[in-house]
Amino acid sequence: MRKCVKNAIKSIIFLLLFCILVEGISIILLPFDKVKKYGIYKTSAYEIVAEKDNSIDAIFLGDSLVYSSISPMEIWNSYGYTSYDCAQPAQIMPYAYDYLEAAIESQHPKLVFIEANILFRDPEKLPLYKKVAYRIGNYIPIIKYHSNWKKYFTKDKNSWLNVDKGYIYITGIKPSKKDKLNYMHDNDELEVSILPENIEYFDNMIKLCEENDIELVLLAVPSQKSWSFTKYSMVKLLADSKGLEFIDFNIDNDLDIDWATETKDKGNHLNYWGAVKVSAYLGEYMEKTGLLTDHRGDSEYKSWTTAYGIYKEKLK
Amino acid sequence: MEELIEILEDLQPGVDYENVDDLVDGRYLDSLTILSLISEIEDAFDVEIPTVEIIPANFNSAAKIWELIERLQEED
Amino acid sequence: MSFFSPVFAFVFIPFVVIVYNLFPKKLRAAVLLAISLLFFAFVSRWLILYIILSIISIYLSGLGMQAIEKKKKEVLKTVEKDEKKAVKESYKKKKKFVLVMCIIFNVAFLFMFKYFNFFAVNVNLLLEYFKVGRSITIVKHLAPIGISFYTLEALSYVLDIYYGKIEADKNIIRLALYVAFFPQLLEGPIARYQDTAEALYEGKKVTFESFTFGYQKILYGFAKKLIIADRLNIIVKEVFEDFNSYNGISIFISIVAYTIMLYMEFSGTIDIVIGIGEMFGVKVPENFRQPFFAKNVSEFWTRWHISLGLWFKDYIFYPVSLSKTMKNLTGKAKKKLGNHYGPLVSGSVALLAVWLLNGLWHGAGWHYIFFGLYHFFMILMGNIWEPSVAKACEKMGIDRKKKGYRIFQSVKMSILVFIGELFFRAPSLAVAFAMLKRMFNAFSFRVGELFELGMDARDYVVLVFGLIGIFIMGILREKGIDVRENISKKKLVTRWLIYYALILLILIFGAYGQGYVPVDPIYADF
Repeated sequence: MRKCVKNAIKSIIFLLLFCILVEGISIILLPFDKVKKYGIYKTSAYEIVAEKDNSIDAIFLGDSLVYSSISPMEIWNSYGYTSYDCAQPAQIMPYAYDYLEAAIESQHPKLVFIEANILFRDPEKLPLYKKVAYRIGNYIPIIKYHSNWKKYFTKDKNSWLNVDKGYIYITGIKPSKKDKLNYMHDNDELEVSILPENIEYFDNMIKLCEENDIELVLLAVPSQKSWSFTKYSMVKLLADSKGLEFIDFNIDNDLDIDWATETKDKGNHLNYWGAVKVSAYLGEYMEKTGLLTDHRGDSEYKSWTTAYGIYKEKLK
Repeated sequence: MEELIEILEDLQPGVDYENVDDLVDGRYLDSLTILSLISEIEDAFDVEIPTVEIIPANFNSAAKIWELIERLQEED
Repeated sequence: MSFFSPVFAFVFIPFVVIVYNLFPKKLRAAVLLAISLLFFAFVSRWLILYIILSIISIYLSGLGMQAIEKKKKEVLKTVEKDEKKAVKESYKKKKKFVLVMCIIFNVAFLFMFKYFNFFAVNVNLLLEYFKVGRSITIVKHLAPIGISFYTLEALSYVLDIYYGKIEADKNIIRLALYVAFFPQLLEGPIARYQDTAEALYEGKKVTFESFTFGYQKILYGFAKKLIIADRLNIIVKEVFEDFNSYNGISIFISIVAYTIMLYMEFSGTIDIVIGIGEMFGVKVPENFRQPFFAKNVSEFWTRWHISLGLWFKDYIFYPVSLSKTMKNLTGKAKKKLGNHYGPLVSGSVALLAVWLLNGLWHGAGWHYIFFGLYHFFMILMGNIWEPSVAKACEKMGIDRKKKGYRIFQSVKMSILVFIGELFFRAPSLAVAFAMLKRMFNAFSFRVGELFELGMDARDYVVLVFGLIGIFIMGILREKGIDVRENISKKKLVTRWLIYYALILLILIFGAYGQGYVPVDPIYADF
């Protein structure tokens, strides 16, 4: 029995010391002094928190469809608006709400876009291990930021700068065989529904936006696999009942997505070239709202110009 | 025993068969050489070595091989 | 669920250990079996039926053969001496019948899941060629997890009973646990009944010592996979998917990278399996013994995927080469060709069978078959040349035991293996040959090219240090030094520093997360 107690104490001390070590390493890999200056923060979930206070004009909430379809840097370059993809893989409404809450603590965006596909996700269906991983990721940021060690071994003085603003850049092409618009009815047999609890979260988001004087817009980016006519109709109803705008790129074909070259996985997600089209359209939309100002040339936003330079360099 | 060592010398020269005790594990004898060895032994000592007996433990030294041969002769 | 998922290693394993320890000793085997079957069902759902059928079939066949043997002994006591031989023969036939039925039953499942489509596609090609207006329907189905591994374990059990090496097991739980022990389902190793069954059934308590000791091995496996294999995957993916855009040296590097990646992924997984085994007091057989220190291709295969090699040796190579027909052949050949080359004739027939099956075991595809034939050829050539090489070396005064010559041998062996594994990885034979051709035709070298393969200088530095670390561990093991044993004798502070260092190295320098694609458990598909 004594041995057992001894071992238990040993294990606890071992784990405690380990936590301290990890925390220490986190500080090295995510240094506080660099946080606000360069746009990284000691949290893995909410990167936007690390942006300079009150510097973001618009944010996009949603799942992988957001970070593969919307590139804030493109919008910056054409219109001078600062936007941010607050997206996570398979994001669910509760997480989107948390994200929005965290974002408006330090930011005063004028526009918030919600990618409507997350309305159809059942938060209960998210596997437990993903939920655990999500929580762990929040507490142990080195899991996401472990590669930051590389930034200590480079001459590039901008290496700490957050360039992509949440967008994930992919140039791979896996053509889709389906043609332009007919796909909207292909997925109709799939039973979809918007759960009451998602509506509840959605209402809370609307409230949050109203309180902070933010205009909320619903959005559906092009996707042949994740979207359907049924989904469109349901979101349209919802948007109308709440008096919100709803942009569905799947029903309005203005973008003219070329599904042979502009998707990375046979029609589910767009690749970089698709994202350029979506981003251009959204930039134009933002301009039409008349809510935002062009920050290009503003010395307060110099880091965005630098980031764009690096972003462009990467595309070569 | 001497006859056995002669066979071994003939198949794979340059090994100190009196003393080495890891003929198989030390890779002095590979599986093809063991095949030759078995056919030689079967001819010379008039025994039949069943596949079950072909395990490293029985072939790791000349002494072990000799033990095996004697055992098989008795069983007959 | 991959072994390398943190959930498996840091949630599932501790959970299993706690549940296992909570039960009294007598019930632990049953608990472990239940967990193994749940694991199986979790991955393969209803296909669990097939492993259960396999277990029942070998259980009954084992008891059946045992009963026949017992009956034989009883009958032998009662009959006259001159009848004995006939009695023995008749019972042997009965036993063989049971064995063969059991083998067919199990191999049929394996064939159905792994080879039917390959077979169908090729038969259809033939039918088309001969303008027969029919074809076999291709059915796509997922194979039960680990079918290639547990089927071989199941077969070794019935074969060992047939040969009289072991007694049939009357306890189906013990037998089932031997076949279905969950860590071995993914990538082996293929254990023998004598290796693990008894220890698994014993239900030894997982102690603090066995738990921490096992975890050390698990962490080492993680390090191999996350720091090295997943990092090399960048190059391998990049070049193999689009080799025409790269010139010779890049292709060469990717081929080398693939073999190292395969080694790190596979042996890392085995380390994890062995580590889990150690927790439960089970010695899972080692599957790798520093393969790249081997002298020649033949030795390489006694150090790489050892359990598979031994299986083929025991159940294919010797039984085939020592069969009556083969023995006669050997005798004739020896008279004509002498002692070295004579037995090679029957040996090489057996070897051909082994390597054809080895290739096929890895998968249904012509490039796997070629992979097998390639190794058959290399090993055979090695054997044929051996006397001439020995003579040549003697003439030139080269001491073959010297270090320099040993290194030369290992390098030559490694290159042959790299080429073999290229056929293994390439999606088809044609691609493999095209890559080889391009490697020689478009040969040029620029240092800058190294950094066009997706890895930057910092990645290469981590890679080189990682490989040096593993190389040193390899040398220590080759010398018979047990590193973990040595660490355990050190002071607590030193020990903990080592553990922390290893964990942090994996956490920081592991090639996981954004920008990295992990290697799929390669052997899990076989």
